[in-house]
Amino acid sequence: MKKAPVLLSIIISSLVLLLVGIIGRNNVYAEGTSNGLTEPVLKDVLMGIKDGVYPWHIFDSDVKNEAIEKVNAQRALEEEMLKKQEEALAAEEKKKEEERIAKEEAKKAKPTPTPTPTPTPEPTYTPRYEPLRETTYDEYISHISADIYGEDGVNFASEYKFKNVDITYFDDALFIGDSRTVGLRKYTDLKEHADFLCKTSMTIYKVLESDFDNKLTVEKALKNKKYGKVYIMLGINELGTGTTENFLASYTTLVDEIREISPETKIIIQAIMNIDRTQSTKDKVFNNTNILGRNNAIATLADNENIFYIDINPIVCDEDGFLRDDLRGDHLHLLGKSNELWREFLLAHGV
Amino acid sequence: MASFTSLGFLFRFLPIFLIVYYFVPSKFKNLVALLGSLVFYSLGEPIFVFLLIFLSLVNFFIANASCRAKKSTSKKKNRPKIYLILVILLDLISLVTFKVLIAAGFNVLLPLGLSFYTFKMLSYQIDVYRGTIKEGPPILEVITYFCIFPQVAEGPIMRFREGDFFDEKKITLLNIENGLRYFIPGLAMKVLLADRIGILWNDLGMYGYESISTPLAWLGAFAYSFELYFDFWGYSLMASGLMVAMGYEFIENFNHPYASNSISEFYRRWHITLGSFFRDYVYFPLGGSRTSKPKMVLNLSLVWILTGIWHGNSLNFILWGVILGLFIILEKLFYGEFLKKNRIIGNIYVLILIPLSWVVFAISDFPKMGTYFSRLFPFFTTAQVVDQGDIFTYLGDYWYLIIAAVLLCIPKITDLFRKYKDTVAVKILLVLLFWYSVYFCTISEGNPFMYLNF
Repeated sequence: MKKAPVLLSIIISSLVLLLVGIIGRNNVYAEGTSNGLTEPVLKDVLMGIKDGVYPWHIFDSDVKNEAIEKVNAQRALEEEMLKKQEEALAAEEKKKEEERIAKEEAKKAKPTPTPTPTPTPEPTYTPRYEPLRETTYDEYISHISADIYGEDGVNFASEYKFKNVDITYFDDALFIGDSRTVGLRKYTDLKEHADFLCKTSMTIYKVLESDFDNKLTVEKALKNKKYGKVYIMLGINELGTGTTENFLASYTTLVDEIREISPETKIIIQAIMNIDRTQSTKDKVFNNTNILGRNNAIATLADNENIFYIDINPIVCDEDGFLRDDLRGDHLHLLGKSNELWREFLLAHGV
Repeated sequence: MASFTSLGFLFRFLPIFLIVYYFVPSKFKNLVALLGSLVFYSLGEPIFVFLLIFLSLVNFFIANASCRAKKSTSKKKNRPKIYLILVILLDLISLVTFKVLIAAGFNVLLPLGLSFYTFKMLSYQIDVYRGTIKEGPPILEVITYFCIFPQVAEGPIMRFREGDFFDEKKITLLNIENGLRYFIPGLAMKVLLADRIGILWNDLGMYGYESISTPLAWLGAFAYSFELYFDFWGYSLMASGLMVAMGYEFIENFNHPYASNSISEFYRRWHITLGSFFRDYVYFPLGGSRTSKPKMVLNLSLVWILTGIWHGNSLNFILWGVILGLFIILEKLFYGEFLKKNRIIGNIYVLILIPLSWVVFAISDFPKMGTYFSRLFPFFTTAQVVDQGDIFTYLGDYWYLIIAAVLLCIPKITDLFRKYKDTVAVKILLVLLFWYSVYFCTISEGNPFMYLNF
């Protein structure tokens, strides 16, 4: 210890943390992703600290139980999804098999061809707030945001006649968003009119618990001042996190929370802005297909009376739906000067 | 795992390697170092590891042949020269081929460390030819020198004779302890300082240079200067710390460049092993400064154009080299003496010029570089969309990193660290820095070293 104190301290502390990781492996760190081989157990312990689970929590039964319950719930969900998917596959197989048999029988009985009346299924009407299907297990494990709603919500929302407004319209507006909205605030005159609750790497999952500038939360801001409209653009950072269902559920919570605190306020849901071609074509998670799945979901929240849905993508994207190269600063952010287009779009979409 | 800041390296590769290296008898240590290095390299470059092995072997055998030819009869007098030319061509062709392919827009990456290990090979060949390395050293020592993992990816470009490869190394815990004293500050500089200040520079590109205020443009230039410095100095400290842990001498690659009083001094203190490579193997053989003035200007121009080309694959790097070369020539011809006498003026001159030169280094797109300079010097253009208060936003977010960076650029501050290195407080600080850095690497999945693709 005298000769190599730094080395020995590091070895001992590593071993202690390793032990913590091993003890906590099936409880407090049950959610951890390390495999212990290429990714040291230590990773779980350090990631735990980031999420507020400290090494000494391995002795805290509350934290332990909470983590175990969470993981069990997760596993149950996964199993259920897997089961459903298998059932659906089996049903499809069965159907195919039946069709094949029916065809063969029809062949055998060629001399007397009876025109089998294939029952054309009645076109089923899908109510707007019901998903067309559920996210499948495969989509879930590969972080694909399934398009489970289709275009019904978007179509309905676009029926609304938006108005042209002048900049003072934003005097009672509040913008909630992530780094993209930070750009809108920085590089347009909207900051002189509207208030902004925006922060880099904000997500729909943490927006209600987060502190923004001056220690403001969404709740406090809405209670402090009466806003005529709240604009939301969130969803790019959490693309890989959760399913379309989870995302929509959290979005709904946010919208409901705003409505509850301030029932008069109009809520304008902004479509998640697409990303550029380079990123979108190579990334399995951050791509425009996944963005579309989520946009189609949040669009269904629009009722065209209190809640509206607007989509800036046709303005800033090329014909293939990729964020235009001449407008972007990196793969997913507008250049400072390009925010002018966003501003104009908002001015043309007053409610 | 081929990055010093990954958990896989810190808690898998390194401990296993050091334990084996520590316990094997001295005569096997080079072998263990070589095997470990090949494992390390192939984790990063599973295919191009064969290029490294191939070039190492060829370089060894040619140098060996050259040594033998020297000893033999006068008939073979020209042989060493022919060997030298052949092997220099081979090493340079390997390097230049990749650089040309990249410059021509092919979708290839420079094999990890190619520009560093080929330079080691070149220095070895020239030293053998010159007789600085006499007896043809054994194969294991030479190949280990070429491949040794702390240096293979990003240098320092150590010379063969600096490496005491023949010593029977008796590694004690003290070696590893001393290595950690370099490694941990390096890790912290890279992870806690360089990577985070780098975000500021990144932001400027994201919003577009036309939209930044002039004060922010200057802050950006300084931020990038800090990022580059602490990234590379940090890396060099980690690399040399690992070498110390393995029983080698510490190799100094940076010696407070920002405290210099002239551009020439700056580059005697910045990436020292590269500067001395060009000095010993290009500049001096051409006659250096002990020649006529026009010849010296020519020599310096050549050295700096080569330095530019070595650093990157686009034209801005050549422009960067030309600009630096120009100022160094001006200093040699005109005001070098003045700067030496007026140290404060010299230092201010360095602190303004060097960040500007890094802007040229950083922005490969010439119109964008022009835009950046028009924001730095807004005399002829007026900006359109600028957030005038942006400097305060960034100072608000980055002030503590900027202060830390400035302090670490002052030699007296780091002297303090050295002076008190044996106190308990500093040792505790090192352990804390280690864990805080590891924590940061983990939660922010490191962005690879900026110099890695060079």
